[in-house]
Amino acid sequence: MAATTDTEQHEHAGEDGPPEPGAGPRGRGPRRIVAQAVSVFGELLITAGLVLGLFVVYSLWWTNVVADRAADKQAEKVRDHWAQDRVGADGPGALDTKAGIGFLHVPAMGEGDVLVEKGTSMKVLNDGVAGYYTDPVEATLPTSGKKGNFALAAHRDGHGAKFHNIDKIEKGDPIVFETKDTWYVYKAYAVLPETSKFNVDVLDAVPGESGKKKAGHYITLTTCTPVYTSRYRYVVWGELVRTEKVDGERTPPKELR
Amino acid sequence: MYGWIWRHLPGNAWVKALLSLMLAMIVVYVLFQYVFPWAEPLLPFNDVTVDNQ
Repeated sequence: MAATTDTEQHEHAGEDGPPEPGAGPRGRGPRRIVAQAVSVFGELLITAGLVLGLFVVYSLWWTNVVADRAADKQAEKVRDHWAQDRVGADGPGALDTKAGIGFLHVPAMGEGDVLVEKGTSMKVLNDGVAGYYTDPVEATLPTSGKKGNFALAAHRDGHGAKFHNIDKIEKGDPIVFETKDTWYVYKAYAVLPETSKFNVDVLDAVPGESGKKKAGHYITLTTCTPVYTSRYRYVVWGELVRTEKVDGERTPPKELR
Repeated sequence: MYGWIWRHLPGNAWVKALLSLMLAMIVVYVLFQYVFPWAEPLLPFNDVTVDNQ
């Protein structure tokens, strides 16, 4: 009933001057059609506004809920897998790359760890994980022991927002990558707060833009910037400081304590 | 538009209100489950990788 009253008010508002006596609330003729069109148009605008508002809720809240759920499930699977391997004789590098290769710990970005999986497609990253690049430049995994660049990407907002606080990382901050039996402790040494999304050179095995000239064990974190948009990319580089064997209790290295 | 829907819902005001709420929830569900996931990659808010495309 309330809605009916609304429509009537709209109709009156659409008319010039007071309604003709005896015309009744429904009115008639072309004026009524115009008034009705205006009212429908107004309602469509309100609807569009609501849908856009809902889209914001979806991107900034709901995708996080879904992604965190997926990430937790996969992380648990990886941890389980590691634990099972530990019980039996250590298999020859039984690396479950499908569920994830390890965890990234960056104290500067906040508590908790980020599961790292293969690939940087939206399908992978939307599960609330970080992905290592396979395209356009193939990342060098730290587990391979070779010199190269371990380049990663993750979402800044929505879908877990795992790199949301990337701007809190400063030079000298630790970036730790945890695998089944090794802690790889990196130290951030360069930050590129804004670069073009076409700048694939940042993923190079020797990232020249960070000031390095010689091959080494590097790590690169990429995400979008400024927050809530993807106009540019934000890049943080780190270099391997040392590695540490994982002990029976998985005691974290001193950087994480 | 909304007035038309309201007039065509059966029952008294309470039943109508309940049905309206259910309709709204269905719309939100369809948006979150199908429309937004489809629209998201088309919008420039969430590209986080560098690439040469």
